[in-house]
Amino acid sequence: MKFDVVVIGSGPAGSVTARFAAEGGAKVLMIERRSEIGTPVLCGEGISKKVEEFGVLEGTRWIASSMDGANIYSPDGTCVTMDAEHAGNETGHVIYRDIFDQELAKSAANAGAEIWMDARATGLIKKDGKIVGVQIEQYGEEIEVECDVVVGADGVESKVGRWAGINTTLDPCDLETCAQYTLTGVDVHEGYCDFYLGHEIAPGGYIWVFPKGKDVANVGMGILASLSSPGQVKELLDEFISCHPEIAKGQPVRFLTGAVPVAKPLEELAVDNVVLIGDSARQVDPITGGGLMASIEAGKACGEVIAEAVETGDFSEEFLKSYIDRVGTLYKKLKRNYVVKEIMLDMDDKTFNMLAHSLKDYKFEELSTLSLVSALVKKHPSLLVRLKPLLKVAKM
Amino acid sequence: MVKRKAFVEKKECLACGGCISVCPEDALEWVANKAYVDEEKCIGCQICYKTCPVGAIAMVEEAIA
Repeated sequence: MKFDVVVIGSGPAGSVTARFAAEGGAKVLMIERRSEIGTPVLCGEGISKKVEEFGVLEGTRWIASSMDGANIYSPDGTCVTMDAEHAGNETGHVIYRDIFDQELAKSAANAGAEIWMDARATGLIKKDGKIVGVQIEQYGEEIEVECDVVVGADGVESKVGRWAGINTTLDPCDLETCAQYTLTGVDVHEGYCDFYLGHEIAPGGYIWVFPKGKDVANVGMGILASLSSPGQVKELLDEFISCHPEIAKGQPVRFLTGAVPVAKPLEELAVDNVVLIGDSARQVDPITGGGLMASIEAGKACGEVIAEAVETGDFSEEFLKSYIDRVGTLYKKLKRNYVVKEIMLDMDDKTFNMLAHSLKDYKFEELSTLSLVSALVKKHPSLLVRLKPLLKVAKM
Repeated sequence: MVKRKAFVEKKECLACGGCISVCPEDALEWVANKAYVDEEKCIGCQICYKTCPVGAIAMVEEAIA
């Protein structure tokens, strides 16, 4: 059996890559190890409204609730409010991630991609040192599929990279381990995503409350794996909920866990005939842990490059990885935010409180790191030392 | 001498993949959509054990000659 392209994984990165490769004329197979695309959900389900500009989603069935902004709470409870546009990429819509993923897969299928379910990649097929296909297990059968390009869209736990000789092992200090309840019967700030910061309540991470409807919300927590002990994130999340009566009165309709890379985005993400995309390539905002927009943006570029590769017959490492040059602004932002993440990890709760006190009345109309830092330092000259690295980043 | 290996309690694993992503020995993989430890490859470093959000991984002591 022969395809031009085999995409391993049918999350947003895989589906969008498959769609644009197929649209460009490539014969594409996308495989999914599970029995239903998008299920179980492993996501906080927040995304920027910018997603609509990509034209990859039909209708609005995938939107649970639209946001006006975000409230960020410092450890002492001081609230900083930002409108959605300034609050980053994860606060535009709260979505139904299962429907969202199926819509994206549908758009790949409409473009001509073939989809196999319950199909797990077990290895790459090599011939004379060259990668020429994928070994797939489906319904107890071993199937060999030949192809010119293998796309590793197999998530944070990517095996494709490791098989191809790309080191994708994550350092525990670059991974957030997460747990989340969807709770019903809760009081939420309608139209606002809430974020709670503090090393004591969420070591190296944060807690989020994303409203999915008038009395339903995703309440979740991510903590840095290097600071975590077994089962700790669930314990800390339960503790947080029990201290917040407006949430504690709700009942769960879903519980899930997740793992989010907060690493530098991969730049060496291809070898001849193999390319990585999405979480497997660490294309996630290291500050927020949001990866949907990055996957979609990068997936489009990756699919287009693959379609060109199929047309010209150039499946070299250099050409395949060139898709990241087409999303240079995204890469710059991810790299910059990695530095900011490292700075934030060094800040203690006292500094978070100081920042929040200074920012609570700040008008976020013209938000840039530079203007933010100068406003802060004017109020708290002692912050200058701590924020100096941020100024460097602002110029990146 | 006692050697420790990671062991995934299948019923408790919620399949987030965190353990697979941090394993320095590539000793974890998906089997029937749950994380599974290849004992031959596991070096007992405990990284997966600490990472698991629900504590579904145990370090099992195994006596060796």
